[in-house]
Amino acid sequence: MTAPRTPGSGELVRLVAGRELSTRIRDKTFLISSAIILLLVLGGMVFQAVIASGADDVTIGLVGDTATLKPALVAEGTAVGADVTVVGLDDEAAARRAVTDGDVDGALLDGAGASPRLLVERSAGSSLTATVQGAVSRLAVGRQLSAAGIDRLDVPDVGVTELHPGSDPTGERTGIAVVGVIVLYALLILISNFVAQGVVEEKSTRVVELLLSAMKPWQLLAGKVVGLGVLGLAQIVAIAVVGVAGALIFDLVSLPGQLIGTAFTVLAWFVLGYAFYASVFAAGASLVSRQEDLAGVITPMTMLLVAGFFVALRSASDPTGLLATVTSYVPGLSPLVMPVRMAGGGVAWWEVLLAVGLQLVAIALVVRLGGRIYAGALLRTSGRTTIREALRAERL
Amino acid sequence: MLEFDGLHKSFGDNHVLDGVGFAVAPGSMFGFCGSNGAGKTTTMRIAMGLVRADAGEVRWRGVPLDQETRRRIGYMPEERGLYPKMKVGEQVTYFARLHGVDAGAAAKAAAEWLGRLGLGERRGDPVEKLSLGNQQRVQLAAALVSRPEVLILDEPFSGLDPVGVDSLAEGLLDQVRAGVPVVFSSHQLDLVERLCDSVGILARGRMVATGTVEELRRRDAGRLLRVVVPDAPQGWMAALPGVRVVSEQAGDTLLELAAGADDQSVLAAAVRTGRVTHFAWREPTLVELFREVVAAPTEEAA
Repeated sequence: MTAPRTPGSGELVRLVAGRELSTRIRDKTFLISSAIILLLVLGGMVFQAVIASGADDVTIGLVGDTATLKPALVAEGTAVGADVTVVGLDDEAAARRAVTDGDVDGALLDGAGASPRLLVERSAGSSLTATVQGAVSRLAVGRQLSAAGIDRLDVPDVGVTELHPGSDPTGERTGIAVVGVIVLYALLILISNFVAQGVVEEKSTRVVELLLSAMKPWQLLAGKVVGLGVLGLAQIVAIAVVGVAGALIFDLVSLPGQLIGTAFTVLAWFVLGYAFYASVFAAGASLVSRQEDLAGVITPMTMLLVAGFFVALRSASDPTGLLATVTSYVPGLSPLVMPVRMAGGGVAWWEVLLAVGLQLVAIALVVRLGGRIYAGALLRTSGRTTIREALRAERL
Repeated sequence: MLEFDGLHKSFGDNHVLDGVGFAVAPGSMFGFCGSNGAGKTTTMRIAMGLVRADAGEVRWRGVPLDQETRRRIGYMPEERGLYPKMKVGEQVTYFARLHGVDAGAAAKAAAEWLGRLGLGERRGDPVEKLSLGNQQRVQLAAALVSRPEVLILDEPFSGLDPVGVDSLAEGLLDQVRAGVPVVFSSHQLDLVERLCDSVGILARGRMVATGTVEELRRRDAGRLLRVVVPDAPQGWMAALPGVRVVSEQAGDTLLELAAGADDQSVLAAAVRTGRVTHFAWREPTLVELFREVVAAPTEEAA
C-alpha cells in the first residue's frame, strides 16, 4: 500500500459529494419520486395532446352527394381551425345510427338540396356548425352565381400584419412556467429534505465524529450540498429535456424558442433556490439529534417554500400584479415567482438582475450563518440545540 | 511518544478536565479507566480535535496534533459511528479515502482488513444488517484501514461477548506489536489488567494514578494480608493495633495493615487460634486499586 497523502479540501468535498450521490442514486425514495415526477410530466403532456387533438377533430357524416360537399367541408374546416374527416353514409337511418353511436359528430342530410339538415347527438359544437354552414353556403352561393352566369368572383384575401411577431398569448408562456415551477418546487422540497435527513443521520449515528476527525465542518457541508445539488440538477435537466422534447413531439406549443428559454430560466433559478434552501435546511437539521425531531425544525422553512409555490401559482394568472411583482424580489420566494413573471413578459432586465442579486446576498448570508450554526451544533449529539447555543459554541 | 499534557476543559461551570496528562510509548497499550463522567471521552475527543481544550495539548512525536497529523490516528468514537444503510465494504473504503488513501488502494485495504477481521463475506451487506459484534469489527476496520500511526479507541469492548472481546483484543495486540501506541478506555478492568502495559485512572478530572499495573500494585503492596484460620473465633484479631478487617468469612480473613503495623504479631495472634492454612500478602486487583483511588479524596490521590 502506498503511503496515504493529505487530501486537500477539494478532494474531501468531492469524496463527500460522491458518497451522497452514489448513496441517493440507489435510494428507493429517490428513484420512485423521480419516476413519479417524470410520469406526471409525460402524462400531463399526453393529456394535453389528447385534449388538443380532440377539440380540433370533427367527423361529419354525409348522406348523398359527397363529391362536391366533401372538399367544401374540408376547406371550411381548415378555415375555422378544425381537422375535418368526412364519412359517407347511405341514408337517414344510417346517419341517425352513426350519430347515436358517436361514430360521427354530426350528419348532414340533403346538403346540396333546398333544406339541408344537420343531425347531432345533443348540441352542435361551434366548429361543427361553422364548418357545415360555411360549406353549404359556399356551394349554394356558387350554384346561384353560375346560374346567374358568373363563374368567378373576386373576393380579396385579408392580409394579416403581425405587430409583435413571435409573441404569443401570455397564457401558453405562463403555463409552461407554471409547469416548470411545479417541478422546481417538488425538487427543492425533495432535495432539501435529503440534505436535512443526511445531516441528522450523521448526527444520530455519530458518524459525524469520525468524519470531523478527518475534515472540517464546512468541507462536510459543502460536499453534502454539492453532491445532492448535482443530483437535483441532473434530475431537473432530465425532466426539462423530456418535457421540452415531449412538447415538441406532441406539438403542444406554438413557440418552441419560448419553451426552451423558460426551461433554462427555471434551471438557473433552481440552482439559486437550491443553494438557499439546502443551506437553511442543513443548518436547521443540525440542531436536532434524531430523525423524529427533524419535522419540528424544518417545518417553518418548508412553509416558506410552500408559500412561494402558491404565490407563484397565483402569479401565473396575474404576472404583472402587485403580489407577483413584490414577491419576485423576496429571497427564497423569488426562485419560484420570478420565472413565472419572466414568462409572462414585460420584466425589465434590471428587475431580474435585482432579484438575482438579492437572492445571492441572501445565499451568502445563509451560507455564512448556517455554516456557523452547523459547525457549532454538529457535535452536540444530545437532544435539541438552540440557534444561540450553536452560534456560541466553540468553533473547531 | 503520544503525550497528553496538562489538559484543562470546562463546560460552563463544570470543570471536566483539570490537568490531565499521561504518555503512551510506541508499541504499548494504555488502558484509560475512570468512573462514568470522569472525563475519558472528553480527553479522547480533545486528541481528535472534536473538543477544544481550554489549556494543554496532545503531542505525537513531540509535535502538537493538528488536522493533518490527526489523519494519521485511527479513532473509534464512544457510541460508534457508521452509516447504517451503507454497505460494509464501501463504508470502510470511504473512510480510507477520507484519510488520503487512493481509490484502488483503499478498496484493496478495506477488503484485506474485513477479511482479517472475519467479515470478508459480509462486505456487500448494509451495516445495519450486522450483529452488534460485527458492527464493532467494521468500526475497527474503519479505524485501521488507513494504517494509522496511533489508535485512540473509546470503549471499544463495550457490548461485546467474550469471543468478540478476544478477537478485538487480538487485533489490538497485533497493532501494538507493529509499534502502534494504542489508547483505549474501558470499564472492564480485568481486561485492562490483562492487555495493557500501563494504566491511567481518571477521577474528578485528574489522573489519580498512572503507571504499569505492577507499579500501581507496588504502591499498594504490603497493605493487604490474607489469613485463613479455620478454627479461629469471630474477631480473633480485634485487639491488634493498626489492623483493619476488610472481610471475614468462616476464618478466611482479609486484613488491611496501617503503615508500621507489625505483620509478625498478626501471625502470632493467628497461630494462637489454632491451625493457620494460609498467610500471605495479597496483590490487589485493578478493581480494588480503582475503587481505592477513585474513592480517595483528591489531595491524597495526587
